[in-house]
Amino acid sequence: MKKIIISSVVMTVMLFATAAFATIKVGLLSDLTGPTSSVGVPYAQGIKDCAAYVNANGGINGEQIELIQVDYAYNVQQALSAYKRFKSKGIVALQGWGTGDTEALVRFVSRDKIPVFSASYSPHLMDPSKAPYNFTIAPDYSTQGRAGLKYIKDTWTEKRAPRIAFVYPDKPYGHVPLPAMKEYAKELGFEVTGDETLDLKAMDATPQLLGLKKQKADFVWVGGTTPSTAVLMKDAEKLGFKGKFLVNIWGNDENLAKMAGPACEGNLGMQAAAVYGQDVPGMKIIETETKGQPQMTHYLRGFVSTMVMVEGMKKAAANGKITGENIKNALETMRDYDPMGLAPAISFYPEDHRPSMAVNVCTVKNGKLEFVQTVSLPRDAKWLGK
Amino acid sequence: MLKCGLFFTSYNKEDQFFTSMFQKTCLGLFIGAMLIAPQVLDFYYISVMNLIMIAAIGAVSLNLLTGVCGQMSLGHGAFVGVGAYGCAILASKGLPFIICLLGGGAFAALAGMFFGIPSLRLKGIYLAISTLAAQMILEYVFLHWSALTGGANGMPVDPPSIMGFSFDSDEKMFYLIFGVTILCVLGISNIIRSRSGRAFIAIRDFYQSAENVGVNLFQFKLQAFATSSFIAGIAGGLWAYYTMYITPEQFSISLSISYLAMIIVGGMGSVTGAIFGAVFITLLPEVLNTTTSLLSSFAPDISSLMAPLKEGIFGLTLVLFLIFEPEGLVRKWKLIKAYWKLYPFAY
Repeated sequence: MKKIIISSVVMTVMLFATAAFATIKVGLLSDLTGPTSSVGVPYAQGIKDCAAYVNANGGINGEQIELIQVDYAYNVQQALSAYKRFKSKGIVALQGWGTGDTEALVRFVSRDKIPVFSASYSPHLMDPSKAPYNFTIAPDYSTQGRAGLKYIKDTWTEKRAPRIAFVYPDKPYGHVPLPAMKEYAKELGFEVTGDETLDLKAMDATPQLLGLKKQKADFVWVGGTTPSTAVLMKDAEKLGFKGKFLVNIWGNDENLAKMAGPACEGNLGMQAAAVYGQDVPGMKIIETETKGQPQMTHYLRGFVSTMVMVEGMKKAAANGKITGENIKNALETMRDYDPMGLAPAISFYPEDHRPSMAVNVCTVKNGKLEFVQTVSLPRDAKWLGK
Repeated sequence: MLKCGLFFTSYNKEDQFFTSMFQKTCLGLFIGAMLIAPQVLDFYYISVMNLIMIAAIGAVSLNLLTGVCGQMSLGHGAFVGVGAYGCAILASKGLPFIICLLGGGAFAALAGMFFGIPSLRLKGIYLAISTLAAQMILEYVFLHWSALTGGANGMPVDPPSIMGFSFDSDEKMFYLIFGVTILCVLGISNIIRSRSGRAFIAIRDFYQSAENVGVNLFQFKLQAFATSSFIAGIAGGLWAYYTMYITPEQFSISLSISYLAMIIVGGMGSVTGAIFGAVFITLLPEVLNTTTSLLSSFAPDISSLMAPLKEGIFGLTLVLFLIFEPEGLVRKWKLIKAYWKLYPFAY
């Protein structure tokens, strides 16, 4: 009899324990060792810290988030098998990463009804008719570029039209926003002077700068990553190039000042999340989570990406069960969700997955990345997916 | 090596692929196990097996060109890409699966022949650089010919269907890929045994001697490029159908290097070796990932140190293979077979 009572107690405790530790599984596809690891590591850390914060504060209706992380080293084939591993473990959502893998997974996630929050901001991933289960927390590259152009035009004081040139790597990532930006630049009254290509691993940008000098560009949009941007800026200083650089989201961060030194001072860059230490309500949580250790803006973007996913899960739970399809449906009803100021307010629509049309313009001042202004554009349907 | 007591009574029997009953039984068991696999395995493992089989087709095709014919190629990933894009373009026109797959292969064969033309004048490192140029040119075409390839945005591909049956899951795709892999491997193995195959080997061993005995170097080198690229195109087509979305990034130089690594690790010039290499190179990151995630549950600090080591381990494996087993995994396989064949009288 004694044995039966003890067994029953143990069984009951185990059942309760299972219920108490019920988890919501989320895949975390990270580049920790590949070519984009310098930004992939802080981004993944932001996701992990946000999940830990949510779990420590009651989880989602008492359920904990369990992140299953795989380092795919920016290799599409490895991303594919990582996704299958996630799926076999029963994930309901995925925190993805790069353009190549996000695009390769578009049709898999649609078929399996698993929402993906990636750091790839290709415009066609914002169009639900092409990528119904893809979400991001930053506007697409084209919107970011348009916002940068608008900022320049609004602050341009001379009577003549500003001249703009484009420098980008001859890769899909570099090409994606070009047609949209050139069209919008012309619409705003810019004079588009030309293009130069600069490899992401470039050690020297002299030929490109000689071309830019010949084109007398007042502004140069830079579509590379931080190392190539630093090379461009240092060579620009060396050659006495007077134009100002407008750098995309992956080309300007806290590392730029370390790499380019004073050459990057005063140039402009686009960002989607706040800068560490910025005066926004959510920064206190970030500072507590990171014990006051400054983090890159990519970390904050990873944090916000998880916040939005969690909000979708909470809404899905309120509507029924937390499943991939319910999270997607819940997200599509999200309107002006404020991630405590850590990023501009986010809305998703069933026919439009652009999170917002607001972009943060930043600059480097005294070696530090600083927020300048948020530029908002209208949610124009003709820009969706382009 | 023939088994003791195995005698042939006709040329046909000597010409057989599998000369003993034991080999045939093993093959039958293997095929049986493969056919059952999707019914019993988790779809993660099925997916990995699909990737391995696609890689095996690519590796076997490169093996024909580099391992058998001695023509170095650093552009194989791009030929796979031509097949994938060719297949996707034909599929977008509504053509049936078989036509698209073969058409993709045909496009790749044409590209291979075109870039194989310099092989008459170039060899070794010079040919490697010329094929590297092919890789760059084709990557440029994938990205810039956006009207045809979708450019930076890539191309969606619908799952294949044969007579109304859609291969829209990992399990269904497994059978399709397995069937095509068997055909490709048997095809390449037979080519190696044919007149062309013997000419390829003669060219690889010493091109002047080959020419002296009447081998038309240009014709056979081009034939090697065409056949190899055709099979690579088939691998590309399967990849396009399996992933359902192709972009230029998927067919970069790293894919070409990956295929080279497969035939080096597996064993140059051997079809079995190329398959071993494909299995090894595809599984290596999976094993490293599993090890890292297992470690992370016990010691998070160690796993964060392990992660950056992964790339190093991959490189180190290649170097160790080159130093200690330059003939690849296939030699180890032969040694194991010989051990059991001679056991217990090794000497």
